[in-house]
Amino acid sequence: MTKDAAGPPTATPPGAGQAAGAASSKSKRKRVPYLLLLPGGIWLILFYVIPMIQLAGVSLQEGSFQTGYEFTWAWQNYTSAFTAFGEHFVRSILYAGTATLLALLIGYPLAYAIAFRGGRYRNLLLILVLMPFLTPFLLRTLAWKVILADSGWVVGVLQSIGIIAENGRLLATGWAVVAGITYNFLAFMTLPIYVSLEKIDPSLIEAAQDLYSNPRTAFRKVTLPLSRAGIVAGTLLTLIPASGDFVNAQLLGNPQQLMIGNVIDSRFLRIVDYPTAAALSFTLMVAILLIVIPYVRAVGTEDLVA
Amino acid sequence: MPEVRDRDAAGGSEEPLAVALSGVTKRFGDVVAVDNITLEIGENRFYALLGPSGCGKTTTLRMIGGFEDPDSGSIRLHGEDVTGLKPYQRPVNTVFQSYALFPHLDIFENVAFGLRRKKVPGAEVTQRVGEMLDLVQLVGMDKRKPGQLSGGQRQRVALARALINHPRVLLLDEPLGALDLKLRKEMQIELKRIQNEVGITFVHVTHDQEEAMTMADTIAVMNEGRIERLGGPTEIYEDPRSAFVAGFLGASNLMKGDRKGTAVTLRDSSTIALPEGLAFGPDGPIQLGVRPEKMSLVATEAAPVGANSILASVVDVSFIGVSTHYLLRTSWGTEVVVVVQNLDDERHAAGSSVAATWLPQHTFVVS
Amino acid sequence: MNRFLDMVRRHAITVYMVLALAYLFVPVVVVMLFSFNDNRGRFNFTWQGFTLKHWANAFDVPNLFDSLVKSFQIAFLSALVATILGTLIALSLVRYRFKGRSTTNFLLFLPMATPEVVLGSSLLALFLTLSIPTGFATIVVAHILFNISYVVVTVKARLSGFDRHLEEAAMDLYANEWTTFIKVTLPMILPGVFAAFMLGFALSFDDFIITNFNSGGTVTFPLYIWGAARVGVPPQVNVFGTAIFVITVSIMLLTVAVQRRSEARV
Repeated sequence: MTKDAAGPPTATPPGAGQAAGAASSKSKRKRVPYLLLLPGGIWLILFYVIPMIQLAGVSLQEGSFQTGYEFTWAWQNYTSAFTAFGEHFVRSILYAGTATLLALLIGYPLAYAIAFRGGRYRNLLLILVLMPFLTPFLLRTLAWKVILADSGWVVGVLQSIGIIAENGRLLATGWAVVAGITYNFLAFMTLPIYVSLEKIDPSLIEAAQDLYSNPRTAFRKVTLPLSRAGIVAGTLLTLIPASGDFVNAQLLGNPQQLMIGNVIDSRFLRIVDYPTAAALSFTLMVAILLIVIPYVRAVGTEDLVA
Repeated sequence: MPEVRDRDAAGGSEEPLAVALSGVTKRFGDVVAVDNITLEIGENRFYALLGPSGCGKTTTLRMIGGFEDPDSGSIRLHGEDVTGLKPYQRPVNTVFQSYALFPHLDIFENVAFGLRRKKVPGAEVTQRVGEMLDLVQLVGMDKRKPGQLSGGQRQRVALARALINHPRVLLLDEPLGALDLKLRKEMQIELKRIQNEVGITFVHVTHDQEEAMTMADTIAVMNEGRIERLGGPTEIYEDPRSAFVAGFLGASNLMKGDRKGTAVTLRDSSTIALPEGLAFGPDGPIQLGVRPEKMSLVATEAAPVGANSILASVVDVSFIGVSTHYLLRTSWGTEVVVVVQNLDDERHAAGSSVAATWLPQHTFVVS
Repeated sequence: MNRFLDMVRRHAITVYMVLALAYLFVPVVVVMLFSFNDNRGRFNFTWQGFTLKHWANAFDVPNLFDSLVKSFQIAFLSALVATILGTLIALSLVRYRFKGRSTTNFLLFLPMATPEVVLGSSLLALFLTLSIPTGFATIVVAHILFNISYVVVTVKARLSGFDRHLEEAAMDLYANEWTTFIKVTLPMILPGVFAAFMLGFALSFDDFIITNFNSGGTVTFPLYIWGAARVGVPPQVNVFGTAIFVITVSIMLLTVAVQRRSEARV
C-alpha cells in the first residue's frame, strides 16, 4: 500500500511549546464541566435556592398586605401557625402516610407481577401502568368523584356488605381523599420497585431454593431485601408530593378536613397572609427533608438522581 | 537500572524516530502511573508494551495518542513535538480495546470517518474504503451496523478504520483481549502480516507475554510505571535480568547463592558454574535463575560432568501430553519446576530423589 | 397438594396484575365515557344518556380551547429549555470528575424532594418581592425549574451506558471537540434527550399546583378544570381529555413500533 500525501495532518511546529501546550489544554479540560453546569446551575440557584431563602425570610416577617411587611424575626408566626393549623399538619401526614402505605401494598405486587411474570410483555405492561397518567391529573381526580358518588356502584356495594352505614358516604370523607391520593401516585410507587426487581438475577432465587427455602422464604430472604432500594425510592416519590397535595382534598374531601396544602394555598392566594403561609410552607419543606435526608444518606444521592 | 534505549532504532540513521518519549511522567492523584519513562521507537517496527495491569502501559499508549497529557516530559513523533496536542492534531491512530465502533453509523461510514473529517472527496473515499475492507477481509459488510458483526469482525473494522488514514504510527490498546483463543492466535498472525505489508510502526499494548513474544520485534516490559527490560523476544526471555521479568515472561526457577568468580555456592553447598559473560562485578550474594525447560532430571548418581546440578526430591508429577511437569523440592526448601518433553517413557515418581541438571550457558543472573 | 398451591399462586399473581391494571384504568374509562354523557345542567357526575353532541361542539366552550393552547405553548417552551439546560448538566456530571459534583447532585435532587406547594409558593414569594407580575412567563420559568431535575435524571440514565472511548475514537480520527459532539455524542444520546423532552412536556402540561401559584391571569388547561370544578365542568373538557389521551397513546405506540422496526432491521 502506498503512502499518499493527502493522509494525516501534520503536527504543529515545535514552537507550540510542550509545557504551554500541556498546561493550557489541561486547564481548558478542567473548566469544561463547570461551563456545562453553568446555565442550568444558575437557573436552579435563581429559582430554587434564592426563593427558598426568601421563603424563610418571609416567614419571619410581620404585617399585612395593606400595611406592608417588615422583617422582624417574627418567630411567633411559626407558633401561631402551629396552634391554628397543627391538626392540618397531622392530618396531611396521616393521609399521605396511609396513601403511601396503600400504594405500596397495591404497587409492590403489581411490580412483582410484571417483573417476574411479564415475560415478553414487560415493556407493554409498563406502558399500560403509565398510560392512565396521560389523562390530566384533575380529570382523573374528578373521575373518582363519579366513581365514589353516593348513588354509585362502589358505595352501593360497600353499603350492602356493611362497611358503610346505610346512608353513609365515601365522598367528603377522609377515605375518599386517601383513595384519590393512592390512585394518583400509584405509578410513582410501582415503577421504582419494578426497576429494582427487574435487576434481580433469577439465579439468586434458584440458589435460595437450592438451599432449602420454599418460595415464601425465598421471597422474604432474597427478593424483598434486594428490592429495598426500589421500595425506598417509591415511598419517597409518593410521600413527598402526597403530603403537599391539596387537589384530592379539595375535590374529594370536605372543608372540615383540609390538608396543609389547602391551607397554604388559601393563605397565599385568597386570604393574603404571606408570613403565615410562608411559615407553614417552610415547615412542611423542612419536615419532608428531615424524613428524606436520612434515606438519601443511606442509599446515596448518586443512586437517586441517577 | 537497565539501559532503556532501543538499540536497533538508534543505529546511526538520519531519520528521526517514529516515537520518542523523554522523561515522561504521569500521576493520577497520589499514584504515579508512569514514572519518568524515556523510550525510542524506530520506523517499521512491531513494538510491544508488556506488563501486568496497573504497570502503566496503557497510560503510556494513551499519552502517545493524546488522550492523556504527561505531567512532565515530552513526546515527539517523527521529530516533531506533539506534547499537549489534541488527538485530532496528531498523525497517529488508535485501535481501542473495546473497538469503539460508532453504533449509529454503518461499517462504511465507520471506516470512512477519518477521511470524511479530512474532507477527502467522495469518490476517493469509496475507493479507499473498498481497498481497506479488502485488506481486512470484510468485503460486502459495508452496509451493516457494528451491532450485527461478531467480535472478530468488529476488531477488523476497528483496524481498518485506523489504518485507512495512513497514520505514521498505529497504536493498539489490547485489541485482541476480547477474542477467543483460536481467533486471537489467528489475529496475531494477521496483525503481524499487516504490519509488514503496511510498513509503519505498530505500538501494541498487551498483558499476554505469549502474544508479545509472537508478534513483536521489540518488547518493553513495564512494571509499576517503569520499563524494566527492553529488547527482542529471545533476548529478554533468555536474559531477563530481573526477578520480575523472569517471572513475568514464562516461568523461572530462582536460587540464591554466594558468588566467587564464576562459581556460585548454593545453600546446600553445591556449586553452580556461571557463563563467562555474567561473571562481572564484585563477588558476593547473587540470585541466579534457570528456565524449567532447560533442565533435565537424572538419577542422583548419574549427574553429568560439566553440567550444573542440584539435588532435590520429586513432590508432584503432572503429565500434560506434550510434556511432563515436575515439581521438586531442594534440600533447602525451594520449589523448582522442571518441564521435560515426553521423548521417552522414563518418568520419575513422586517421592524419589533426583538430580536436576542444566548447561551452564542456560543460567541467567537476576538482580 | 403443593402442586395445586403452586398453580394457584402462579395464577393468583397474574389475576392480581389484571385487577390492578383494571383499577388503574377505571378513572380513565370514566373520563372517556362521560364525554359522551348527555348531562343536564352544569354538572357531569351522573350518567344520563349517550350523546355525541359534546364531541360535535367541542370548540364551543369559551376559553377552553385557549387554555389548551396556552398549556401546549408553555409545555413546549419549558420542556425545550429544560432539556437543553438539563442535558448540559447531565453531560458534565457523567463525563467529568470535579469538585462540587456531589453538591450538584444534591441540588438537583432537592426540587424533586420538595412538595409542589412549597416550590410554587416560594417562587410566588420571589416574584412578589421583585414586583414581577405573574403570568405566562412566570409559569414557564417555574416549569423549567422543576423539569430540569427530571431531565437530568433521564439523560443521565442514558449517558451512563455510553462508551467514553467512542469520543476518544472520534478525536483520534481527526474530529475536534465540537465535531465529535455533533457527529457522535449527540446522535447517540438523542433518544434519551428526546425522552427527557417528552417527560418534561408531559409534566408541564399536566401541572396544576405550581402553575396555580404563579399564573396570574393566564389560564392553562388544568387551571381551567380547577376553576370549572366548582361551577360544573363542561363535558367538552372530557372530550379534550380523551382526545389528548388517545393522541398521546398513539404517539407512544408509534414510537415503540418504530423502535421495534429499526431494531429488527438490524
